[in-house]
Amino acid sequence: MPFTPVLHAEWLKIRTLRALYGALVALFAVTTAFSAIAATGSTSDPDFDPLFTAFLGIGPGQIAVIAFGALAVSSEFTGGGLRLAFTAVPQRGRWYAAKLTGVAVPAFLTGLVTGAASLLVARAGLGSAADGLTAGQQLRGVAGCGLYLALMALLAAGLTALLRSAVGALGILVPLLLVVSFVLGTAAGGLPEYLPDRAGQVVLHASPDGSLGPWSGLAVTALWTAAVVAAGAWSVRRRDA
Amino acid sequence: MTSIDVRDLSKEYGTRRAVDHLTFTVAPGRVTGFLGPNGAGKSTTMRLVLGLDRPSSGTATVGGRPYTALREPLREVGALLDAQAAHGSRTGRDHLRTLAASNRIPLSRVDEVLAGTGLTTAARRRVRTYSLGMRQRLGIAAALLGDPPVIMLDEPSNGLDPEGIIWIRTLLRRLADEGRTVLVSSHLMNETASFADHLVVLGRGRLLADMPMRAFIDARVQPAVRVRTTDDGALRDLLARHGHEAAPDEDGGWIVRRARVEDIGRLASEARLPLLELAAQEGTLEQAYLDLTAAETEFTAQRQEA
Repeated sequence: MPFTPVLHAEWLKIRTLRALYGALVALFAVTTAFSAIAATGSTSDPDFDPLFTAFLGIGPGQIAVIAFGALAVSSEFTGGGLRLAFTAVPQRGRWYAAKLTGVAVPAFLTGLVTGAASLLVARAGLGSAADGLTAGQQLRGVAGCGLYLALMALLAAGLTALLRSAVGALGILVPLLLVVSFVLGTAAGGLPEYLPDRAGQVVLHASPDGSLGPWSGLAVTALWTAAVVAAGAWSVRRRDA
Repeated sequence: MTSIDVRDLSKEYGTRRAVDHLTFTVAPGRVTGFLGPNGAGKSTTMRLVLGLDRPSSGTATVGGRPYTALREPLREVGALLDAQAAHGSRTGRDHLRTLAASNRIPLSRVDEVLAGTGLTTAARRRVRTYSLGMRQRLGIAAALLGDPPVIMLDEPSNGLDPEGIIWIRTLLRRLADEGRTVLVSSHLMNETASFADHLVVLGRGRLLADMPMRAFIDARVQPAVRVRTTDDGALRDLLARHGHEAAPDEDGGWIVRRARVEDIGRLASEARLPLLELAAQEGTLEQAYLDLTAAETEFTAQRQEA
C-alpha cells in the first residue's frame, strides 16, 4: 500500500490527541522561560557561553519533547489499539516509518520556533554580553535546537516502540537526561561526552571545547537514535500484536 | 466470492498450543457462528487470519491471499477484535477518520457508518465518555468502514443493551443476505442460535464441528414431544403399549423422547384420550453444544488415562 495515506493517518492521529499538543506547547513554554531566566544571571563566569545560556532552557524543555515522542507511540498500545492499527496497515515497517515521521516533523518545527524564541528573549536579557555572537553561530544554534529536539523525540519514540510502554521509556530517559547529566556535571572529556544529550547539545555552544564539534556531536546523538529506532523496528515487525 | 480459508493452522505460545491444526472455510452469504469455551482459540484464530500473530504452521487467507498482502485491507476485511481499541481521548469520529485515511476511504463514509451504528449524536464526544455498548458500536462502525465483503466480529454483543442485541442480529442477517462472508464469535448460545446459519466449533484449539447449525442440533439432540392430558394413567399405559417412554415434566405434562407429534397425536386420538397440550420440542443449540463438549471432555479424559 502507498505511503502517503499511511502518513496522512498518522498525522491525523497526532493532531487529534490533545496531550500531544500539550507536550509541544510545554516544550516551547518551558524552554523559552528557562532561557529567559538564565539570561538574567551572572555573565562574569569564566566559562560563560552566551549561546548556550540562550539555549539553557532546553535542559528542562527536552523532557516535554521526549514525552511527546513516547506518548505519540504509546497512544497506540492502549487496549488493543496496536491490533487495530495493524489491521488498517498490515505493513508494519511502513506504519512505523509513518509514525516516526509524524513525531519527527512536529518536534523539529516546534524545536526551530522554540530555539528562535529562546535566542530572542535571551539576547534581550543578556544585552551586550551577547554581542560577540556571530550570525552563523546563532543560526547554527537555532537549527541545532530543532535537530536535537527532533532526535530526542525519535529516541523516545523508538524506545517506547521497543518496550511497548511510555512509562518504561520515560523511566529510562528522564533519569538519563536529568540525573546522569547532573551527577556528571559539566566535566568535559571522557565517555559522558558521548551520551546522547551531551553530544547533541554541543551544537548549542558558541565555542565547543570538547572532542566533539557541533555537527559531529549531533551525529553521535543521531547514531544513538538510529540504534534505538532500529531496535524499535525489530520489536514492531517481529512481535505478535 | 471472498471466503476465509484456514488450512492446517497452528499457533503455539511457549509450550501451550492455542490453535491446533485447524482447517475450515468460512463461506460468503451466510452467518457463521464461531463457538467454543473461553480459551478455545477463537480470538487467536481471528488474530492469525488478520496477520497480527504469526502462525507456528499452516496458513490463513482471505479470498486466497494472506491478509498482510492486501493493499487496502479495510476495504476487504472488517474486523472487531476489542471494543477498547479506540483511544479514550479521541472523539469517535476522529477515531474513524484516522482509520479511513490510512485506507483512502472517503470521509463521507465515516459519517455513514456513524449514522448506521446510531452514533451520530455521540460522534464528536470523546470515546472516554462512551458506555461499553457505544464502544462496541464504534468498533462495529470501524469494521464496516471500508464496506468490506468479509466481516469478522469477536463477541460483538458484549455490553449491548436489548435493543442493541436485536440491532446486531438484524445487521448480521443483512450483511449475510448481501452476500458477505460473516464470522461471529460468541460464547452465548441462545444469542448465536438467533443469527447463525453455520457453525464452526472449537475446543482446546481443535476443530470440533463445522456444519450447518440445524444439522449440528439435529445430530446431537433427539427430538421430543411434550404432551399434557387429563388422564395421566391412561396416557402412560397408551405410550407404554406403543413402545414410547414418558417422563414427567415439571408442570404436570409428560416428555416423550424420540417421538414426533404426528405419532403421539394420532395415538391419543385413536384412544379417545383428551389432550390439553401437544407440542414438538426442538433441540436447542445450547443442548447440542453441551452434548458435544461433554463428549469432548470424556474423550480427552480417556485419552489421558490411556
